[in-house]
Amino acid sequence: MSAPRKKRNPLRRTVLPYFVVSPYLIHLLLFVLFPVVFSIVLTFHKWNIISPMEYVGVDNFLRLFQDRLFWKAILNTLLFLVVHIPLQIVVALTLAYFLTQKLFIRGFFRASFFLPVVISGVVVTILWQQLYGMESGVINRVLTSLGLGRVEWLTNWRIAMISIAIMATWKNVGLYVILFLVGLQTVPISYYEAADVEGATAWQKFRYITLPAINPTIFMVVILSTIGGFSLFIEPYIMTGGGPLNSTLSAMLYIYKQAFEYYHMGYSATLGLFFALLIMLVVVVQKFTIESDD
Amino acid sequence: MGTKDIFRTTFLFLFFSWAFTSCSKDRVNRDNELLYWSSNNGGEIQFSNWAVDRWNSAHPDNLLKYQPVPEGQSSEEIILAAVVAKTTPDIYSNIWQGTVEFYSTAGILVALDTLEGFIDFIQQRCDPATILEITSGDGHIYQVPWKINPIMTIYNKRLLAEMGLDTLPQTYAAYMDAAKRFKKDTDGDGYVDQWFGNTSVKLAWYQRLFNFYPLYLAASGGMPLIKDNRANFNNEYAIGAFRFLQELYRENYFSKQDQSAGQDLFVAEKYATKFTGPWEIQYLDRFKREGFEYGFYPMPVPDDHEGPIYTYCDPKSIVIFNTCSNPQLAFEFVKTMVSEEGDLEFLRTTNQLPRRKGLDSIPDFQAFFSQNPQLQVFAQQAKHVKGVDNCEVLTEVFDIISQEYEACVLYQIKTPEEAIADAERAVNVLLRVKN
Repeated sequence: MSAPRKKRNPLRRTVLPYFVVSPYLIHLLLFVLFPVVFSIVLTFHKWNIISPMEYVGVDNFLRLFQDRLFWKAILNTLLFLVVHIPLQIVVALTLAYFLTQKLFIRGFFRASFFLPVVISGVVVTILWQQLYGMESGVINRVLTSLGLGRVEWLTNWRIAMISIAIMATWKNVGLYVILFLVGLQTVPISYYEAADVEGATAWQKFRYITLPAINPTIFMVVILSTIGGFSLFIEPYIMTGGGPLNSTLSAMLYIYKQAFEYYHMGYSATLGLFFALLIMLVVVVQKFTIESDD
Repeated sequence: MGTKDIFRTTFLFLFFSWAFTSCSKDRVNRDNELLYWSSNNGGEIQFSNWAVDRWNSAHPDNLLKYQPVPEGQSSEEIILAAVVAKTTPDIYSNIWQGTVEFYSTAGILVALDTLEGFIDFIQQRCDPATILEITSGDGHIYQVPWKINPIMTIYNKRLLAEMGLDTLPQTYAAYMDAAKRFKKDTDGDGYVDQWFGNTSVKLAWYQRLFNFYPLYLAASGGMPLIKDNRANFNNEYAIGAFRFLQELYRENYFSKQDQSAGQDLFVAEKYATKFTGPWEIQYLDRFKREGFEYGFYPMPVPDDHEGPIYTYCDPKSIVIFNTCSNPQLAFEFVKTMVSEEGDLEFLRTTNQLPRRKGLDSIPDFQAFFSQNPQLQVFAQQAKHVKGVDNCEVLTEVFDIISQEYEACVLYQIKTPEEAIADAERAVNVLLRVKN
């Protein structure tokens, strides 16, 4: 004989689930939805934080399209991405490939490559600022000791953004090495064995087996690098302040300056909204491009 | 619902109720005690404790509560956050003169000239030029000028003596000539490694307060950048200052090395001069090698300059926020804090100069300066100093100048005339849009 079923409290069934999810719901409302809605409201206002808001209609949007510095910041960010993403993929994939081989103290190398990822971005930036120093920087000292010329890593407007992209790659590559390692380990060994039987070269095996097999990983790395690259801020903020000649002024840095140096909260929110839509567009285009290639 | 559930639900309800009510601004209630914030550097904390203790022992019925400004990236950010959250102190010292107009326009500062005894007090403390400088665009005064750190040229005595200079290179031509002679590639690697000077190459707007702006004030005899709500700097003085700095960089007399990147090259005797303030004295006392001798002299000026040499003084003021329940009482405290006795104590504990007239002629102060001759030079310079213009968008004005400075001085892609004219145009557009 089975035991009598315990009567369920209807209130408990209806209210309890909401109560259980309420901490997350409150967090979502307060720290995600409210700021999003508030910043959309801000785009139609002029506000300097401490004075009352003033309704300005679409003035902020009109200003955005005439703001040369903002478009320069967008171009700078795109330049950063053009250098950073391919460099990141090539370096991460190469390192991951070597780490799949039977190397001496492989575990040590894996941990070493990941170490910069967990170091604070500010610390890494200050460290690289020292390395890039024109006169007393370690890199230039090495170059001059080898009889090569000094490089104006951060003071030449033509290469300052590239210098930052190199540094950002060093900082983040460990994360992508891990992703590629996982991707590489999912490729069945039998594919390579079959290719060996057919007499395929190492390049052919990489081109026709490895690359297609890790395509989803490459897609993920491209998306993550793009989103991460668009949020470029700490590096130019600390190292160059956006200079020389605004060549390292990233879009995020410009939005920050508008908000927290000039207190143009409405305009800054407009830039932020536009920039978020741009990132969304770029990611969607990337997704379709990579999927169509696939 | 079981007993356990009821307890659990009640506990969670009470916890969240407590958490949310703790965030209420009513929690800021301070039992009618006035609250004073100072900056959070050691010397100023020590001085503020002294001033508050002295006040509290003399006024047991009107006790004052003191705390340094909470830690943050900068005190300006903390103050702004406090203003937004309406948790400002009653009194705050160490506010940069350039931000006072921003706050006063928003109506969150007490107009001090409406308080009893303020006019007499300020006339006794400051000369008419300073009073004019701190008077807001609406005709009221919202700040008590408190302290200054004038920018001057520091020089390495040994290096200049070895060059055989009879007099300090005070004019642009003399400075340039000395720089030309001093520049050297000491190790023969084909790169200059000894420069006559250095100043920040960073783009940040406030860096121009420590190179272009003091040179402009020195050349122009203290002319404002903004006058009658229009740019006032498209003149021979600003152009001359840009040209002077441009040549220093073009000829590699000044290093482009950022000072924060690596060792201090002035201490390492790789720079013979630089533009700095009195804070350098305590710094050098800690880090210079034995026998390293240095001195200060006014900012370089154009060759045909006549009259006193002005400079920028990095002024900080004291303000009373409109959240203060008793502004008159707050002002009474400020008066005691910046009295002659208070200023002398401030000077002793912080090595910073109070902003009061006749600084180097008050007997008690004279005794201090005779024991601190390096600081005495700054006290003498204090007779000819300027703060900044009362302009709500001063940060943006300096940012515009900084952009042009970089293009002209550091990268030489514009002539000084073009750069200053472009800056003037941009500042005028900014000021017009603002209104």
